[in-house]
Amino acid sequence: MHRPIAAIALFLGLTAPVLAEEFRWAETTDPQTMDPHAVNSTPVLGFLNNVYEGLVRRDRDMKIEPALAVSWEPIGAGEGWRFVLRQGVKFHDGSDFTAEDVLFSYERASSEQADTASWFAPVSEVRVVDEHTVDIMTTSPNPIFPDSIANWMILDSGWAEANNAARPDKEAGNHATLNANGTGPFRVTAREPGLRTVLEPFDGWWDEATHNITRAELTPIQNPATAVAALLSGDIDFINPVPIQDTERLKQNPDVKVIQGIEARVIMLGFPHEAGALKFSDEVSDANPFADPRVRQAVAHAINVPAILQTIMRGNAEEVSQLVSPAMRGYSDAHAARPAYDPEQARALLAEAGYPDGFSFGLKCTNDRYLNDESVCQGITGMLAQVGLRAKLDAMPVQNYWPELRADNFDMFLLGWSPGTFDAEHPIRFLVATPDEEAKLGSWNFGGYSSARIDELLPLIQSEIDETKRQAMLDEVAGIVQDDMAYVPLYVQPLIWGAKANIDLTQRPDNFFILRWVTVN
Amino acid sequence: MLAFVIQRIVQSALVLLVVGLVAFSMFRFVGDPIDNMLGQERTQADIDRLRSQLGLDQPFPVQYVKFLGNAVQGNFGVSYRQGRPVSDILLERAPATLELAAVSGFLAILIGIGLGVFTAIRREGFAANAIMSLSLIGVSLPTFLIGILLIYLFSVELGWLPSFGRGDTVRVGGWSTGFLTESGLKALILPSITLGLYQMTLIMRLVRSEMLEVLRQDYIRFARARGLRERAVNFRHALKNTLVPVITVTGLQLGSIIAFAIITETVFQWPGVGLLFINAIQFVDIPVMAAYLMLISVMFVGINLIVDLLYFSIDPRLRADRTKAH
Repeated sequence: MHRPIAAIALFLGLTAPVLAEEFRWAETTDPQTMDPHAVNSTPVLGFLNNVYEGLVRRDRDMKIEPALAVSWEPIGAGEGWRFVLRQGVKFHDGSDFTAEDVLFSYERASSEQADTASWFAPVSEVRVVDEHTVDIMTTSPNPIFPDSIANWMILDSGWAEANNAARPDKEAGNHATLNANGTGPFRVTAREPGLRTVLEPFDGWWDEATHNITRAELTPIQNPATAVAALLSGDIDFINPVPIQDTERLKQNPDVKVIQGIEARVIMLGFPHEAGALKFSDEVSDANPFADPRVRQAVAHAINVPAILQTIMRGNAEEVSQLVSPAMRGYSDAHAARPAYDPEQARALLAEAGYPDGFSFGLKCTNDRYLNDESVCQGITGMLAQVGLRAKLDAMPVQNYWPELRADNFDMFLLGWSPGTFDAEHPIRFLVATPDEEAKLGSWNFGGYSSARIDELLPLIQSEIDETKRQAMLDEVAGIVQDDMAYVPLYVQPLIWGAKANIDLTQRPDNFFILRWVTVN
Repeated sequence: MLAFVIQRIVQSALVLLVVGLVAFSMFRFVGDPIDNMLGQERTQADIDRLRSQLGLDQPFPVQYVKFLGNAVQGNFGVSYRQGRPVSDILLERAPATLELAAVSGFLAILIGIGLGVFTAIRREGFAANAIMSLSLIGVSLPTFLIGILLIYLFSVELGWLPSFGRGDTVRVGGWSTGFLTESGLKALILPSITLGLYQMTLIMRLVRSEMLEVLRQDYIRFARARGLRERAVNFRHALKNTLVPVITVTGLQLGSIIAFAIITETVFQWPGVGLLFINAIQFVDIPVMAAYLMLISVMFVGINLIVDLLYFSIDPRLRADRTKAH
C-alpha cells in the first residue's frame, strides 16, 4: 500500500525541484517531555499524539474512533469494557504491539509516578484475555470510559523495560524523556529540548497516511512578534497561537491564512463560598457577601460579556452560559441562556442582599495564562464598579497564581477550564463537587462550593449508561450551578492559528496539532 | 601584587556568596514549580509528594546550603523542566551565547573604537556629526525594538536573512558552531548587530570624549611641536592613553553583552543560555535559574578581577601608588 505512494513521492521529488513536503512549525511551549505518562498537559499530549497512539483516538470532530483497538463493547451490565486489539501493528523499533503492551501501559500510566493516574481512577483491574483482547474492569458502570482514555498512549513494554523506563520520572527523567517509540504515524528522529524536535513519517504505520509531509520540525518560539515575523518571512509554515492583536493584519496578507476556532476552554469567575469574611475589603471584614447567591447573581448581571468579546477579544470568542462549551458532550441546551447584562437588576440584587452601596473586595487574576486575561479582568473591574462592586485587581503570573488560590487568598478569581474528557462530567468533578481529598473530588474547587444534590448526582452521572437519563442528570446539575451562580461563566476562549497559504490542516478544539491532517500544496 | 590579587579574590568570593543568597531568596517570588510539573488533574497528595521529593518543603536556608554544597562540586542539580543535569544543558547552550557575544563584542570594539577615534579627530566634520547623531539612536532605542525592527526590515520585507534561530550548526568536538555554515553565518548577522549596537555606541562615545580630552593635553602639543607625524601623535600617544578607562568599561560591557543576550536571544529565538534562563523563569525551573545566575556572577566577578589586573599593567601610576602606600 505504502510502497507505490512512496515511489510516486520519490518520483515527484526528483522531477519537481521544490521540496514542498518539508514542514516547519512553531508553538509557544515546547513539549517538556517525550514521555506520554509523565506530564498531562496540552503541549505534551498534543505533540505526542503524532508519535504515540491509544486504543481509541479522536477524529476531526472530536468523536472517538478506533485506533489500536478495532472495536470495544461494555462487559455484562457495565462491569467493564472489552477492547479487541488491532493486529499487525508495529512499534517504531519494529516490535509487535500486543495485549501485554496495553497491560504494561495501564500499569505505567496509572502508577503513582505518572501524571495521568486520574484517568484510571474508575478502573479496578485490567485483564489480558488473549494476545489481541483486553478487558478493562471498572468499579461501577462507566459510560464515558472509552472517551476518557483517548489520550492514554501505549508504550512498548519491552522497549521501556530494556531502557529502564518502566515508570515515568518527572524529576530526573529517563530514557523515555528524550526518546520515543510509539506506533503512531511519525517517529521522533531528533530531539533537542527547547530548540527543535524532528519528526519523520513511520513507513510501517498501520493506517493510510493522508498527509504529504516527509519531514516535520517543531521549533518553540516564545516571543509572539518573532513567531509572526517567522511566518510572514516564510521561515515557518505554521504558528500556534497568533496573537489576537495581529489576527486582522495577518488576514489581510494573501501569503498567510488565519485559522480560527473555539477552544474547549471556558473562562469564568469563581467565589470564596466557604470563607467567613472577605480578605481584601475596606468595609466588609466580618462577613462574606459572596456567600449570598444574590450577590453572585448581581456580579453575573453586572458584567457586559458582549462588550468584553467585542473590545478585548476583538470578536474572537463566544459567550457561554455553563462550565462547558456547546461543543462538549453533556452540554445542557436547557440552560443555554446567560444572565443578561442588566446593571439595574444587579444594583437591586445587591440592595436586597443588604449592600445598597456595594463593597470593595480583591479580584485575583493571571496575566500570562489565558488570552488577554489581565485586560479582561480590568474590563470586569470597570463594569463591576458601575454597580458599586469595587474590585481591587491583583494580576500575577500563573506560577504565583495557583499557590495564592490554594491558600484561599482571594475574594474573587478568574479561572479557565478545559475538560480533558470533553464531557460535562469533568468540570463537575473538579470544580463543583464538594472538595474531598480522599475521593479525589473538587480538587480545583478553590472556593469550596458545595451542593448536596450535586454530590449525590455525580456518581450516578459517572455510571449511567443510558444517554437520555444521563443527560437529564447533567441538565439538573447545570440548573443548580446556574441558579446558585456557583461560578460566573463568561466566554469560551478562541483558538487562533496561522499558516502559510499553501498549507491545509484541521483545527481541533483541544488545541492539538495533528500532523497527519496536514497537506502542503 | 600578590597581596592585591589575593585580596581581590577573597572579595570576589564574598560577592558570589551574597549574589547567590539574594538570587536564591528571590526564587520563592517567581512562583511554585510544582504546578507546572503536574497536570490539570493533579491532587493535593500529588503536590505534597512531589514537593517533598524535590526538597521544596525544607526551609530556604537549608535549600541554599544544599545548593551551595552541590554547586561547589560542579553539580547544579537536575532541571525540573527537562529532567536532565543542568550542567549538561548549560554546556549545550553555552556555544550559542558565546559565539553571539564574541561576534557582537568584536564588532562593538572594532567599530566603536574606529568611529570614536574618527569622530574625535574630525570633530567638526559633517560625517562625524552625522555619526554622533545616529549613535543616539543606538543608545536610546531598547534592544528588543531594534531586534524586531531589523527582523521586519531584513527578514519580512527584504527576505535576505533568517528571522529566528541559529541556522545549521556543525559539531567540532563538544562545541556546536555556526561559523562554518552559510546559514549559521547569516543567522548571526541580525542578532549580533542587535546585541552589539548599544555597546558599540557606548564605546564610541567614550573613546571620543577621552580622546578629545587627551588631545588637549600639553604632551600632545609638545609631540606635535616636535614634528611627529599626525598619525603617530593620534595613535601612539593619544589613543594609548585613552584606553585605560575604555578597557574598564569595555571589560564590564563584555560581561553585560552576555547578560543582555537574554533579550536578544528571546527576540531571535537564539538557542543560548539567555533563552534558557527566560524559559526557566516561566517554568520556575529553580536549578537552571540558580546555575545561570551563579554563572553570570562568576563571570562578572572574573571580569572585574581581570580589569583590575589590567590596570596594573597599563597604568604605571597605580603600581607606584601601591608601593608607596605599603
